[in-house]
Amino acid sequence: MQTWQNKARQIFSLITVCFILTVVFTYFTATATSVNQDETVGSGKKYIIAMDTTFAPFEFEDSQGNRIGIDVELLEAIAKDQGFEYEARAIGFDAALQAVESGQADGILAGCSITEERKKKMDFSTPYFDSGISMAVSNDNHSVESYADLQGKKVAVKVGTEGAVLANTLSSQYGFSVVTFDDSANMYEDVKLGNTVACFEDYPVLGYAISQNIGLKLIGEKEAGSSYGLGVKKGHNTELLQMFNDGLENVKTSGEYQRILDTYIASGESISSVIDTKESINFFLLLGETFPRFIEAAGITLWITAVSLIFAVILGLFFCALRISKWKTLHVITKVYLWIIRGTPVIVQAFMIYFGIPKLVGFTMPVEVASIITLSMNAGAYLSEIFRSGIDAVDIGQMEAARSLGMPYMRTMQKVIFPQAARIVIPSVINQFIITLKDSSILSVIGLSELTKVGKAIVARNLESFQTYLILAIYYLILVSLLTALSALIERRLRRGKIKGSGK
Amino acid sequence: MEKLKVRVNDLHKYYGKLEVLKGIDMTVNQGEVVSLIGPSGSGKSTFLRCINLLETPTRGSVFIDGNETTDKKANINKLRRHIGMVFQHFNLFPHLTVEKNIMLAPVNLKIMTKDQAQIRALELLDRVGLKNKAKDYPVNLSGGQKQRVAIARALAMSPNLMLFDEPTSALDPEMVGGVLQVMKELATDGMTMIVVTHEMGFARDVSDRVVFMANGYKVEEGPAKDFFVNPREQRTQDFLNCVL
Repeated sequence: MQTWQNKARQIFSLITVCFILTVVFTYFTATATSVNQDETVGSGKKYIIAMDTTFAPFEFEDSQGNRIGIDVELLEAIAKDQGFEYEARAIGFDAALQAVESGQADGILAGCSITEERKKKMDFSTPYFDSGISMAVSNDNHSVESYADLQGKKVAVKVGTEGAVLANTLSSQYGFSVVTFDDSANMYEDVKLGNTVACFEDYPVLGYAISQNIGLKLIGEKEAGSSYGLGVKKGHNTELLQMFNDGLENVKTSGEYQRILDTYIASGESISSVIDTKESINFFLLLGETFPRFIEAAGITLWITAVSLIFAVILGLFFCALRISKWKTLHVITKVYLWIIRGTPVIVQAFMIYFGIPKLVGFTMPVEVASIITLSMNAGAYLSEIFRSGIDAVDIGQMEAARSLGMPYMRTMQKVIFPQAARIVIPSVINQFIITLKDSSILSVIGLSELTKVGKAIVARNLESFQTYLILAIYYLILVSLLTALSALIERRLRRGKIKGSGK
Repeated sequence: MEKLKVRVNDLHKYYGKLEVLKGIDMTVNQGEVVSLIGPSGSGKSTFLRCINLLETPTRGSVFIDGNETTDKKANINKLRRHIGMVFQHFNLFPHLTVEKNIMLAPVNLKIMTKDQAQIRALELLDRVGLKNKAKDYPVNLSGGQKQRVAIARALAMSPNLMLFDEPTSALDPEMVGGVLQVMKELATDGMTMIVVTHEMGFARDVSDRVVFMANGYKVEEGPAKDFFVNPREQRTQDFLNCVL
């Protein structure tokens, strides 16, 4: 290695280090600010209540995208009675449990069963609903009439539910195997398709679904299940529990409690027709009906992706600079970063950043910040490798020619190497941009209201998985096409000149 | 007494444990044209690249106009402005037009304004017979044309020493003549030149002195006229028998 290169690389690296420190600093100030905002609002303390996205009739969305359900209304009534402020966040059941444990949320109200295992880590309010578990099979299925008929068959359950616990208990006794799903809609679909013969689910949930004509029917009597309660992290938010208990008592006395229950579960079995009963849904009707919600979600997908990509490019340049620096120790930093990011799935990174790190460090961050960090860290790793390969691909003779004319290293990089490297890497960078745009769908697991999350929520309400996901796919296709068209434009402008006339 | 332009003392270069230059001494006078010849791997190119420090010598020193370039405190970017270099593979900047290739360094180093640099570029292109190619991109030039542009690019910095690293080796035979013609004219104009070459005709007819290198050593040197007629060393004779 030659000294002139070394010296110049040092400078190049140093500049980039400063640049990135600024970026990191900005990240954290942004985070700190939002945390502070939360705290100031909470002078009267604003409780963050985590909920499932879709657990009809406890929480789900009506066709306008308003969140309705027993949990939603009950919380509203109790908060009004007790005079506390809250912010409901529909992030999914699993995520809600983790949010409470990591302190991202103060409580979970999501048809959460009070179990011995959960009591080890959480405190619960007095029960507000006694559930139970039912089994359902496809309408055309006439062979399954009791558990005994499940022998040698497959049965569907939803992860983390009491239905899953029951099914696992019964599986050895009756000789069937259990398949686990992340949400109810997929589970119903699987039973309807016949991959699994039956499903176990909390009876109000199953009852609601069947009232929506999903092509399933209930079999047998419901099993007694445990009760639902508001959960908080063990030893925390005791005042919230107390207010919830007092409020629950009051709304029961006032009759409000019964009114809410009646709205969603008439005579404890069937679902009131207050909730939109289902007609057969026309694709174009669905397209129109979901348009406002999907457009909003597409906007979120776009801006989260765009901001992430800006940071990703900066991160990519920074780690690329470290990688080509003359100091071997700096190479190690890039290598470790790449090793971690490439070695773990995005979904795990999202959970780590949104739930894991806040729990360790003791602060919370908005889901948008966590999303942007996740996506930019991820894309940044791949981009740094793309950038490095681009710089490596520029012939060493280019550097030598410019340096032999007396051009300094940085100038040469700027005027000779980068313009050529940029052309080389454009296709790969566009590719990475598209991958990142699609990877943003993974952020639905931490509750970001982007396209996929909204799609899931709509499916959970109308249980029209095929048509809804088809519409979702169209939105992604449109977004990716826009991105590709934009990139093609940029690529053409950058390439202008080189190709002119003949190609080599 | 002729003015000393380049002086090289006991130059050694290692790549890892491999010693490719084993103590070279050489001087070049102002206005002199020196041809470096020798078999592949003899260290000619490495030696040439040590003069403008594209390679860092492991040991030894290089003086240009009495200033030591191998001194750690030397401003190598400044020194290089006055040392033009022409490469075997031209190394034109493919993203720039021919004229922008020539203008890049003078403009970026603030030696000329854009307008001055453009006028200069066109003069130089005229000199190498390629004025009509100013707006073309390198990809549209033949090898010989590219090399003439590369020479014009080096000349744009007004160097007083030119290094040529096998300037015709990558060219089709019919392209060689044009490039050699340009180099010959440069030599006639009094440019100090060090040329690594396999063109024995050029070495004999244009250069003042020929240096034969083999295996990292300077084996023999002499005035171009005598060198090819009366080589003293056996290795020189063997090499010349092969190439002539």
